[in-house]
Amino acid sequence: MRFRSIKTQLIVSVLLVELASAVLGTALVVLYERHARFRTFDIMLRGRADSLLGAVQDAEDAQDSVMLDGSEINLPHDDIYEVWDENGRILGHSPAWKIAVRSNVLATSQKQFEEIRVHGAGYRTIRMDGLRVVDPGDNNGGVRRHVTIVYGSPTSPVWQAVWNAVLFYGATSLILVILTGVVMFWLLRRGLAPLNELAAQASGLSVYSWRFAPSDRIRETTELAPLATALETAMQGLERSFKQQHQFVSDATHELKTAVAVIKSSLQLLSMKPRAASEYQAGLERCQIDCRRMEEIVVRMLTLARVESNTTSTVDHSSIHPTNLAQTVKNVATQLETFAELNRVGIEISVPNALTLDIEGDELELLCSNLLMNALQHSEAGDVIRVIGRSAGGWLELVIADEGSGIEKEFLPYVFDRFYRNDSSRSRRTGGTGLGLTICRAITNKAKGTIEIRSKPGSGTTVVVRLPLDRSLSTPTGIAP
Amino acid sequence: MRILLVEDEVRLAENVAAALREIPGYAVDCASDGQMGASLASNRCYDLIILDLMLPLLDGQGVLRKLRADRDLTPVLILTARGEATSIIELLNTGADDYLAKPFDLGELIARSKALIRRGKGVAHPLLRLSDVELDTLQQSVTRAGHVIDLTPMEYHILEYLMHRPKVIVSKRELLEHLYDYNWEHHSNVIEAHVSNLRRKLDWDATDPSIETLRGRGYRLSLREQPRG
Repeated sequence: MRFRSIKTQLIVSVLLVELASAVLGTALVVLYERHARFRTFDIMLRGRADSLLGAVQDAEDAQDSVMLDGSEINLPHDDIYEVWDENGRILGHSPAWKIAVRSNVLATSQKQFEEIRVHGAGYRTIRMDGLRVVDPGDNNGGVRRHVTIVYGSPTSPVWQAVWNAVLFYGATSLILVILTGVVMFWLLRRGLAPLNELAAQASGLSVYSWRFAPSDRIRETTELAPLATALETAMQGLERSFKQQHQFVSDATHELKTAVAVIKSSLQLLSMKPRAASEYQAGLERCQIDCRRMEEIVVRMLTLARVESNTTSTVDHSSIHPTNLAQTVKNVATQLETFAELNRVGIEISVPNALTLDIEGDELELLCSNLLMNALQHSEAGDVIRVIGRSAGGWLELVIADEGSGIEKEFLPYVFDRFYRNDSSRSRRTGGTGLGLTICRAITNKAKGTIEIRSKPGSGTTVVVRLPLDRSLSTPTGIAP
Repeated sequence: MRILLVEDEVRLAENVAAALREIPGYAVDCASDGQMGASLASNRCYDLIILDLMLPLLDGQGVLRKLRADRDLTPVLILTARGEATSIIELLNTGADDYLAKPFDLGELIARSKALIRRGKGVAHPLLRLSDVELDTLQQSVTRAGHVIDLTPMEYHILEYLMHRPKVIVSKRELLEHLYDYNWEHHSNVIEAHVSNLRRKLDWDATDPSIETLRGRGYRLSLREQPRG
């Protein structure tokens, strides 16, 4: 894979733009210089032609003709000129005049300025018509003599000057481009340092290293701050959930190991010495019970995993059938009736008939049966458990209150933790897995509800579940008997 | 020998206690939480404490710390399920003598228990020998001058306990404490009956009495250690 460096790309593109603008600038300079210099050149030509006109003088002859007196004028020897009068008579021409006399090279063209080539060298010529009045002091005002002057000067010095200007400008631009390149490299290195730093820190992240602490420089960079924050929160969230998973696996391992230890010890105890058939029978029955308990732990762990895994995925609410609370509570109470009668614990139910919830039927049942079973296990003979359902402002409140031993204040924050049993000896005897309340919380979380436990040691525990009501169907009338 | 088992998993505790009572014939008391375990242990009548780590109210390490802070030298065997916060090294440094990881082998648990009790009494070998009396703690058999002596379990345990402390006067109360768990009624005349039976069985063919009774104080083995060679 070829790596593409942002820095190199930026430098190359900026240098390319600079180079293009330098080329364009040079072209404009060529145009402007040419124009300006030729304007000056033309003015100079006109001036020289004028001074040449001044050299046309009265010839002092009978015809009152004019003549060119070249003795007084001082013109560059490279220049060429020719002067003739209205009759086409050549009055004179420059000493270096190289064109054949009266070749009409100049006379034919009527244009004021013209580019010609003489012996390979480029010349620019001006054609000027002049008027000379001979003897202006006479009565008739003198004789008017028209003369035509063609004056040319070599253009090579102008072109040379233009070329020099271009050279200067081009060289300056090139030096500037190189200079800015170096400065850009340095500035970009400084400017992109936070990006490099972020990349270096992000590359330090791995399966084993979750720590991501962006430096202040990264946090203060507007473009990088959202990325750094997102990375940081994502890593923290991942770390937290990874730790939770780890904790769960560790807890589950402990529970399962203990369960296996029970079964293993039961079997080893049986096989340690020869026993009577009835002893084996009793031992095997105990093993069965132990196995059932382990099975229950596994089933509950799977239930918890199922409920929790559904929490994160988007639940399609249209697929959930509204569940009637009163019906579910009644079902659960019927299932637990025998257990309650056995322990001589009464159950009072007061749930409005028409309360429906957007929650899976079996999950609501699991929630109710877990809470009711908990209440039953912590109740003593003669106690009464109250199950109350009521709607309160779009919420359904399910209250399950027992008159049992209650939970000490210091244990309350942990009751929802996995495998937590505050009164271990008791709940183990009653077959608790320490997952019941954890499952309850997972179910209420999934239904976007809350669960809360209030307890006073000695006077009982009250569990309050708040779930959002299915508004389309709820009609809060009618109380179940 | 009397063992304290501190384990909150009731079924596991039942099984371990049953195995210890049946096979080596130890007296076993069970505690289902750390506080109860610590208060039972403070009676100082145990020859070994088997301690689970994850306990309600007071965890295993807490119980262990308390024991060692009270200068209790009883050997302690820790039961762990691994993956627990406290490491084995930390436990051993706190004063534990040995550990077993769950799920463990009951046979191994019993063997380790025996070894720890032996070590606690300053003996390294399972075969105890005093004068011409040999006691095999593995087979739970006793011979005197090469003749096998048939003892009831309680007679054997009394002899074993006395042989672990050969020159010490052992009171009836101490014997009661170390040989019976809390499920038994404590009657010192039961001990008297067992000791007199034991003395009769040991001394039927010997000239020297094996166990002397110190009135009002207890019993002491009158067997002398054989000179080596």
